[in-house]
Amino acid sequence: MSVYSRFARAASGMAMVAALSLSPGFARAIDFLDGDLQLHGFFSLTLVNTSDNNFFGQSDDQISSEYSEVGANASWRLTPDVQLSAQLLSHRAGGTDDGGVRLDYGLLDWTMASSEEGRSGARVGRIKTAYGLYNKTRDVPFTRPSIILPQSIYFDRTRNLTVSADGGEVYLERYYEAGSLSASLALGQPQTDTDAATVALVGLNPPGHLDAKLAPDFQVMYEGSGGRYRLGFTALHLDLRYKPGYADRLGAGRFKLTPLIFSAQYNAENWSLTSEYASRRISVKDFGPFFYNGDALGESYYLQATYRLAPKWEALLRYDVYYADKGDRNGQDFAAATGLPGFTRYAKDWTLGVRFDVTPQFMLRAEAHQVDGTGFLAVQDNPNAQDLRRYWDSFMLLGSFRF
Amino acid sequence: MEKLLTIKFVTWIGRALLLCLLAAALPAGKAQAQPAEPEMVAIAHPGTSEEAIPRATLRAIFGMLLQKWPNNTAVKVFVLRDDAPEHATFSKSVLQVFPHQLRMAWDRQVFSGQGQYPEQLASTQEILSRVASTPGAMGYVKASEVDHNVRVLQVR
Repeated sequence: MSVYSRFARAASGMAMVAALSLSPGFARAIDFLDGDLQLHGFFSLTLVNTSDNNFFGQSDDQISSEYSEVGANASWRLTPDVQLSAQLLSHRAGGTDDGGVRLDYGLLDWTMASSEEGRSGARVGRIKTAYGLYNKTRDVPFTRPSIILPQSIYFDRTRNLTVSADGGEVYLERYYEAGSLSASLALGQPQTDTDAATVALVGLNPPGHLDAKLAPDFQVMYEGSGGRYRLGFTALHLDLRYKPGYADRLGAGRFKLTPLIFSAQYNAENWSLTSEYASRRISVKDFGPFFYNGDALGESYYLQATYRLAPKWEALLRYDVYYADKGDRNGQDFAAATGLPGFTRYAKDWTLGVRFDVTPQFMLRAEAHQVDGTGFLAVQDNPNAQDLRRYWDSFMLLGSFRF
Repeated sequence: MEKLLTIKFVTWIGRALLLCLLAAALPAGKAQAQPAEPEMVAIAHPGTSEEAIPRATLRAIFGMLLQKWPNNTAVKVFVLRDDAPEHATFSKSVLQVFPHQLRMAWDRQVFSGQGQYPEQLASTQEILSRVASTPGAMGYVKASEVDHNVRVLQVR
């Protein structure tokens, strides 16, 4: 099928979404009980085209429409101190996620102490994982700076491990004249039950499965001058064990991942500068001779500028860098040990994007990427590493509606 | 052949993108000259205990973080649309927060299950009447619109 007819089909689909969302009555938030019960949601579709390699479906010289996000949530404030919330999410992303509906979060938030100076409390249930500036709402297009988040830190490949966890969290907020300080400490069971989580770490068609120990997650954030600048630090520790399946080539291996993220953002009236740096210590052992065991220190960072050109228009420029192993940045040692291309161990991504808010409920985005390396590509979409190309471009269009 | 088409398509979109950026940048330059902004004040239901409030606390209330008054009444926040000039003036001059940051803060909380949106009303007149009739309510109006049914909160 020609690129154009596929594109036309998907574009007409987007136009329908637009027409629907512009009709009055539909584009309204739904409140009950005088606003104490609120329903909100979003749906979005992204078209992806790549010059080489596949990203979010079969995109190589084609248009993939296999990246869509649909979510609906309800929140109910029972008393000033207690809120119940839950969100259902369907996330379709090429070979990594089939769009099956999952509980994204479902939690009870209890403010235990509250005064003019701050508040503290606890959350229990399925809680969004604090991880850098964007992770808690990573699947909500309106809250992202671009169509895809910087992949060096917010991997879509391994997203399921850090989306949300089942457990508890305590939090503390302090409001000072100069700024506000917030901190949270969570302990939860990461979601390892999906294929996507296992495949990203172990490889295609694994006969076994991953089990996770309770993962601690700590974040502290300081917002100065009403959010003019934001400084954050996140530390997460994942401890995963592989239970080999029948006739498995792999042994009962163990992954330990400890990402540390430093975040900084400056917000002016018409522009923002954002940068995050992540250091990821990874220890892989006991998988046996058919696996790349060993310790590595991964490194990721990006620098991003957004500019509000006009009330409804925003432009973005970003440089995003990922190294799987700081001690083997160009992947030479990895290539020698495995015979796989060294450029699968890094990715340097220049991104140029534009956002247009047609209405407060309907947003369009376009984005171009020029990438050196394939470090963040998913094996499900690119099963044969020898077919990968080191230099590749991608272009994406997103239409997103919310209520 | 298909590859060539894709390349053409991408180049074409790239050019269109650039044009869009330029077109959008032009009106942005014109938006500088504006009439004098009216003075905005924070108002609360007359039953609330406070006369004056720290700016940090006011930010936390309009940021939908702080949910109750010291006397345990639930806080109920009323605002205008994001693009209302009064909303921008109140955010910038009283809260000293840009409106787009308030929006991001609300979105982040609502879509992670940590908070709710304030209720959006159509005019400052509507805010005035809803604040007057709702215990624990907060909102903002032009200083010239204040009447005796609401309490003006001084920022300290």
